[in-house]
Amino acid sequence: METAEVLGPLEFVNEHVPELQKSLMNPDWIIGDGGAVGFTQYVLWMLIVLAIVMIVVLTAAKKLNLVPSSKFTGLVEYGYNFVAKDIAEGSIGHGYKKHIPFLATLFFFILIANFVGLIPGCRTPTGTISITWALSLIAFVYFNYYGIKKKGGLGYLKSIAPSGLPKPMVPFIWLLEFISLVIRALTLAVRLFGNMFAGHMALGIFALLATGFIQGAIGGVVSPLLGSTSIVWMLFLVFMYALEMLVAFIQAYVFTILTAVYISLAESEH
Amino acid sequence: METVFIISALKLVGYGLAAIGPGIGIGIACYGCCVASARQPELAGRLFTNFIIGAALAEALALLGFVLAFIL
Repeated sequence: METAEVLGPLEFVNEHVPELQKSLMNPDWIIGDGGAVGFTQYVLWMLIVLAIVMIVVLTAAKKLNLVPSSKFTGLVEYGYNFVAKDIAEGSIGHGYKKHIPFLATLFFFILIANFVGLIPGCRTPTGTISITWALSLIAFVYFNYYGIKKKGGLGYLKSIAPSGLPKPMVPFIWLLEFISLVIRALTLAVRLFGNMFAGHMALGIFALLATGFIQGAIGGVVSPLLGSTSIVWMLFLVFMYALEMLVAFIQAYVFTILTAVYISLAESEH
Repeated sequence: METVFIISALKLVGYGLAAIGPGIGIGIACYGCCVASARQPELAGRLFTNFIIGAALAEALALLGFVLAFIL
C-alpha cells in the first residue's frame, strides 16, 4: 500500500499548526466572504448559546417552587444564588439587587459559551475577539451609565481620582486612574478572549502531538517506543481538557466579578 | 523575509517580557491572599475579591503585551 510521504511527528505538528491557527483565527464564513459584514460560525454558535441559555433558564424558572423540586431547577437556582450572593452582594454591597439581572445574564451566557466550545465539533463564541469585545463594551457602558446616573457627569469625572489626596498630586492620579478606567474595556475583552483562544490552541497542539507520534510510529518514521509517547500526550490532553473546564468557569466568574467591582467603584462615594 | 521573521520573533520576546512583571505580581498577590485567609478565614471571601481586583490590575500589563504582539 503506497501512501503519501509519512512525516515525522514534529514536522506533522509544524505542518498543521498554521491550519489550526487559521481555523481558530479566521473562522468559516456562513454568509459573506470575509468583508466587513457577514455571519461567521462564531456568530452562529453565539446564537445557539443564547438559545441554550434561554431554554435552560426559562424551563428552570417555569418550575419555580419554594423548595426546588428537581435537580435541574436546584442547579440553576444555585447558579443564580451564587451570582446574587457571592458576586453581587459580596462586591457591590448596598443596593446590589438591581444589578443582579445584568450580572446573572453575563455569567450564564459566558459560562455556557465557554463550556460549549469544549464539546468536540462546537466552537466557543468567546474564543473570538469580536464577541468578547461586544460583551466588555456592554459592561463598560453599563457601569459608566450607573456611575453617571448616581453622581452626575461632572461628579463622576471628579470621583475618578480618590478624594483626600494632596492638591498637587490630583492631576497625575486623575490621569492614571482615567487611563486605568478606559483600559478596563480592553482588558475585560482581551482576558476572556486570550484565555479561551490560548486554551483551545493548547488543546489543539496536544491533539496534534498525540496524532503525530502515533502516525509516525505506524508509518515507520520513528521507533515504536517513541510512538508510544503518544499515550503521554493523550494524558496531557485529558489533563488540559480538565483544566480548560476549570478555566471556563473561572473566566466566567472573573468577568462577572470584575464587572460587579467596576459597578461598585463607579457608584461608591470616595 | 529575514526582517519579517526577526520582527515576528521580537514580538514574541516582547510578549514574554511583558508577562514577567504581572506573573510576579499575581504570585505575590496570591501569596498575600492565602496567608491572610489562613490567619482570618472569616474574611476569606472579601480577601478573594480583593485578590481578583489586584490580579486584574496586574494582568492588564500582560494583556497589553498580548494585544501589541497581535496588532503591531
